[in-house]
Amino acid sequence: MNLLRAWSTLATLSFRRLAWSTSTLMVLLPLAGCLLFVVRRHYDRPFSEDEFRDFSEFMILVFASFVVPICALAFGTASIGGDREDRTLVFLLVRPIPRPLVLVAKFTATLPLVLSIVVGSYWLYCRLAGEAGQVAFSLYLPAMILMTLAYVSLFHLFAVTFRHATIIALIYALFMEVILGNMPGIVKRVAVNYYGRSIMYAAGEPEGLKPPPAEWFEPLSVQTAAWALAGIAVGGMMLAAVIFSRREYRDLT
Amino acid sequence: MQRTGHVHFSDQTHRVAGSALLLTFDGVTKFYGPVIGVNNISCRIGPGITGLVGANGAGKTTLIKLASGQLRPTDGKVRIGGRDAWSTAAKHHLGYSPDLNSFYEEMTGRQFVHTMARLNGFSRALARERTEHVLEEVGMADRAGRTLAGCSHGMRQRIKLAQALVHDPWLLLLDEPLGGIDPGGRREINELLLRLAGQGKTILISSHILIEIEQLAHSMLMMSRGRIIASGTLAEVRDLMRYRPLVVEIAAEPARRLAALLTENPDVLGVEMRDGALVVRTRNPRVFFDRLGQLICEHGIDVRRLQTLDAGADAVFDYLEQGRS
Repeated sequence: MNLLRAWSTLATLSFRRLAWSTSTLMVLLPLAGCLLFVVRRHYDRPFSEDEFRDFSEFMILVFASFVVPICALAFGTASIGGDREDRTLVFLLVRPIPRPLVLVAKFTATLPLVLSIVVGSYWLYCRLAGEAGQVAFSLYLPAMILMTLAYVSLFHLFAVTFRHATIIALIYALFMEVILGNMPGIVKRVAVNYYGRSIMYAAGEPEGLKPPPAEWFEPLSVQTAAWALAGIAVGGMMLAAVIFSRREYRDLT
Repeated sequence: MQRTGHVHFSDQTHRVAGSALLLTFDGVTKFYGPVIGVNNISCRIGPGITGLVGANGAGKTTLIKLASGQLRPTDGKVRIGGRDAWSTAAKHHLGYSPDLNSFYEEMTGRQFVHTMARLNGFSRALARERTEHVLEEVGMADRAGRTLAGCSHGMRQRIKLAQALVHDPWLLLLDEPLGGIDPGGRREINELLLRLAGQGKTILISSHILIEIEQLAHSMLMMSRGRIIASGTLAEVRDLMRYRPLVVEIAAEPARRLAALLTENPDVLGVEMRDGALVVRTRNPRVFFDRLGQLICEHGIDVRRLQTLDAGADAVFDYLEQGRS
């Protein structure tokens, strides 16, 4: 018995099953929508402040605030949630792999998949958008990665906690992220995208990006926002591991 | 032999096992919210085949889930070889075949069993070797190349058994493993389980069909409403049932003559005609059947059909439950 071998088998199995799941098809639609928008509005344009601002706002308000959470949701909830819904989780729970490591294997399988989709499509949009996109790529990439980490972790937490995690996560993404995340005042701090947007607006400002009016959007400092996203990622996973290691999944049979 | 919620098999049964190879339930109670799943169960299960019998909803699956570490008892302790059943350490020794029909459907049977071996930490080569060995044992070696989605229920049952065996555990928990398997296949599986029991493995096998278990188990646990209502060796449990009332339907000619003869038997509680057949209630089935055989031979009665109407597990449990309360 080799625990590392068992763990890596689980991570590989989970990655393969996620990559060939309906989640992949599900995320293609919003990604294709973004692609069409970028090609139509920004294809190969020369750099100008207006062009950069326009492209940045699309990336921040649509891609980072909507498409990234949808990608993380599709794979993050499916990694454990899929096994719960298919009732194959029982075959994993009776194996001699500690439960927290089962969750870490699932996370390890999900994260590279979501990151490669998010970063890959973001890179493609930036390439297609011409000079404005090329400037934007490196400016917003750290925020995109941190947001992806936080979302994937958060949706794993949902998956181990709720039976119908995808539905709960969709409600969260639409209500908390889209509605509360755009409310004035401090209520927007419940949304992950608020912290990502704080970093992105700060990164784009020197290139001419104007943040929303202060009464609508009071950004945090880059450092605070980055720590908050990292905290959500680590804290979410730790909480998920605690819940998963103690929880009885009575719905499996 | 006891008919209480606390069950202790005879020491002789498990002396060979020592404490290392025992599945033990120590005052185990499990609540699902306000509903009780199993109620104050204590027993020790050692090497050999133990049948866990009960009607649907009796608590068999809850007991097996507690033993496989999927559930934690609300009260009491479940131990596998002295280790808490919930712990990872206990799972090294556990092979579990669940009562569900879910798999990684896109895999072939062979890939599925191989994956389960790898999830037990086996190297690729050893996993392949063990996979082929157990597929051979469950009679699936030549059919394991099919995707699980395309397998029959019986084939899927065999694959479930194979994945439970692949890491060669000493404890096997099999929840309704014979459902959907044809009689020939059932015989093969029974032979395999008897062979494994002969190797000293501890096998707990659940079923709601008494006769299915009778052919296999050397000892029994009978459950009803979350409690163990009878336990012991097969002979001991049979003794308990020997004197339970039974309803027998007999289609015979001449029926009236047979009815008159049967009413003379003090163990017959009543005889009535129903759709041309006699429905006889007896309080002592063994004596009744002995006497019936004599009457048929002595009076030349032509029996066309003879069947017991309440011989199912439910009736047995009801009887034992009444005796317990």
